[in-house]
Amino acid sequence: MRCRCLRVLQMLNFLRKFASLKIALLGMALLAIGAMLSYGNPLGTPVWVLVAPMALLAVNLVAAITTNPRINQQPGLLVFHVALLLLLLLATVGRLTHLDAHLELVVGTGFEADKLLEINAGPLHPGSFDSVHFVQGPYTVEYSPGMQRGLTHSHVKVKTAAGAWEGRIVGDDRPLVMDGYRFYTTFNKGFTSVLTWLPAGGAPVTGSVNMPSYPLFEYKQDNRWTPHGSNTEIKFWLQLKTAMNAEAHWVLDAASSSGVLIVTSGDKRYEVRLGEFVDLPQGRLRFEALTMWMGYRLFYDPTIQWLFFVAIMGILGLTHYFWKKINLQPWMDEKPDTIAEQAGKPLDGIGSPSSGKPSGNNAPVTTAYLTGEKH
Amino acid sequence: MVAEVPWLWSGLGAYFAATLIAIWGVAPRFAGMPVIQNRRHEYAVLAFLMLGVTLLAVAIAERWLRIGHGPWISLFELLMSQLWSLGLIFVLLYWRLPGLRPSAVIVLPVMWILGSWVLTLEPAASHFPPTYYNAWKWVHVGLGKIFLALLLAGVGLAGVLILRHTRRGQAWFRNMPSNVIVDRLAWRFMMLALVFDSLMLIAGAVWAQDAWGRYWAWDPLETSAFLTWLLLAIGLHLRLSYRVPPVVSGLMIIGVFMLAFATYFGAPYISPAAHKGVV
Ligand code: HEM
Repeated sequence: MRCRCLRVLQMLNFLRKFASLKIALLGMALLAIGAMLSYGNPLGTPVWVLVAPMALLAVNLVAAITTNPRINQQPGLLVFHVALLLLLLLATVGRLTHLDAHLELVVGTGFEADKLLEINAGPLHPGSFDSVHFVQGPYTVEYSPGMQRGLTHSHVKVKTAAGAWEGRIVGDDRPLVMDGYRFYTTFNKGFTSVLTWLPAGGAPVTGSVNMPSYPLFEYKQDNRWTPHGSNTEIKFWLQLKTAMNAEAHWVLDAASSSGVLIVTSGDKRYEVRLGEFVDLPQGRLRFEALTMWMGYRLFYDPTIQWLFFVAIMGILGLTHYFWKKINLQPWMDEKPDTIAEQAGKPLDGIGSPSSGKPSGNNAPVTTAYLTGEKH
Repeated sequence: MVAEVPWLWSGLGAYFAATLIAIWGVAPRFAGMPVIQNRRHEYAVLAFLMLGVTLLAVAIAERWLRIGHGPWISLFELLMSQLWSLGLIFVLLYWRLPGLRPSAVIVLPVMWILGSWVLTLEPAASHFPPTYYNAWKWVHVGLGKIFLALLLAGVGLAGVLILRHTRRGQAWFRNMPSNVIVDRLAWRFMMLALVFDSLMLIAGAVWAQDAWGRYWAWDPLETSAFLTWLLLAIGLHLRLSYRVPPVVSGLMIIGVFMLAFATYFGAPYISPAAHKGVV
């Protein structure tokens, strides 16, 4: 029994060494430097400039919360500092399990994990998209004069847990949320030519050629493709007719758009309309359909709701502490309210709140003047 | 001239009158008197500030009707709306806490930085980006306004702490409470500012998650806002650890305010990539 108490005391003594407010100040200063180095997310700044000070602050917080009665005996302040610690832990879990990626989905096609681009995932990301099933439907994007982008309405069909397909409209700040994965529409979207390729002597294949983002790259709607087994590249240029109007309101959608595909192979150039085909040396190409693709941003972080909850709890704690502080000592009370004000002593270690003598500044004061009471 | 400009000018005119009267009110003609016998000028300051707030509210409403959306986007709109909200919250504090009234001679001139800046800008209509349809913008912007106004009230008191080191300052602020109380009041504003700053960051993160699919990405504005929050925390803890002289305490508050000011009116307009929500 004595032995266990001793061990606890030893541990508390050990923790006390890390509980100093000076370490907190150092940690905060280092974190400020880390944040400045991360300003605007420059390439090449190691994540350690943020992680190291945060780790120091976390250790410091654990030590202060467990050993400093000025924190752990003031409920509001305790809740606030515990919330800070939990935020650090949650952010860590979030970074380890998160996933960020991009995706270009052609209207009429479904989500597949191997379509993901620029994947950036934490090492502990579960990585299963087993219950994410949706199919891209048509979409519209509104534009104001001056080519200012307005609202996006993207129709998707989602497979529910019961196996039924359900229609939803997503866009801008309304993501499609499935199994914790959040799909956000982006400014990156454009036109797609659906083509069928009939190689000489081979089986036909139908696929799509995504043109660059529209209207951002309205002036260069081109792409290229080399058929399987051939070494001659085919160049595509889509001559579009859309509702685009720089001076007026207009809506981008597939229904009010049409296009002619200019196909170049070697030094030959062909104009292909919808439903037409062209015979190239490598095979026959048919322009099946003009449709669109939508660029999504994919975000996964299982901690976001918890981060919100803990942050709000922390603020409630701080508000409670603030409230008690005002009630304990009104604004105009001459008595100092912090240890520092009382004696100029550092706060590290143990002290009792608000138990000091008035400080040297004893200028006469009319307290009623401050609060507006009548004499 | 567009509809809101005459109202803006008249609102600023009212603020200007309030500033002059506030300065006249603390001027050294009272020096040596133990108490101010006549505080009627404070009612004039209060009345002109209220008038200014009302006229600026009309200016904002006129512009809203003219361009079809609130003052969220351009620097002209942001400055106009901050002048209104800073004025409104300062009026409330001025009214409820008469003890800090002489600090209006610091607070109002600081507001003139915004006042003279807005006059140099074009009131051209701005574009309303799709991400601004989100209801969190109200929460985020509203909390941010309270945060900045509380910092500004702190700056007023910080100015008192600093200027009291001069003879003129001592005369101006002779009827304010002692430095211990002014300092505490200032830091209570700072702690309350921390509450609203934290809430603003939370609301901003929720909005960013909705708008851009990430809650935090160290973009210039986020980084600058985080540094402001951290500087506030450092200030509060420094005061807990050390005996901070009033001048240093005042300078710390001004430092936090300057960083917040740069965050609000600098970061989003210096870097084209900063998060204005416009893409
Ligand atoms: C990371 C390590 C930290 C430690 C060890 C720590 C420790 C402390 C201690 C010992 C107190 C004194 C309580 C009292 O005297 O009544 C305190 C107060 C406080 N802390 Fe922290 N803290 C830390 C981080 C933070 C951070 C990041 C913030 C964020 C803003 C924060 C905000 C506050 C506030 C607002 C108070 C009340 C100050 C006052 O009454 O004037 N703390 N903290």
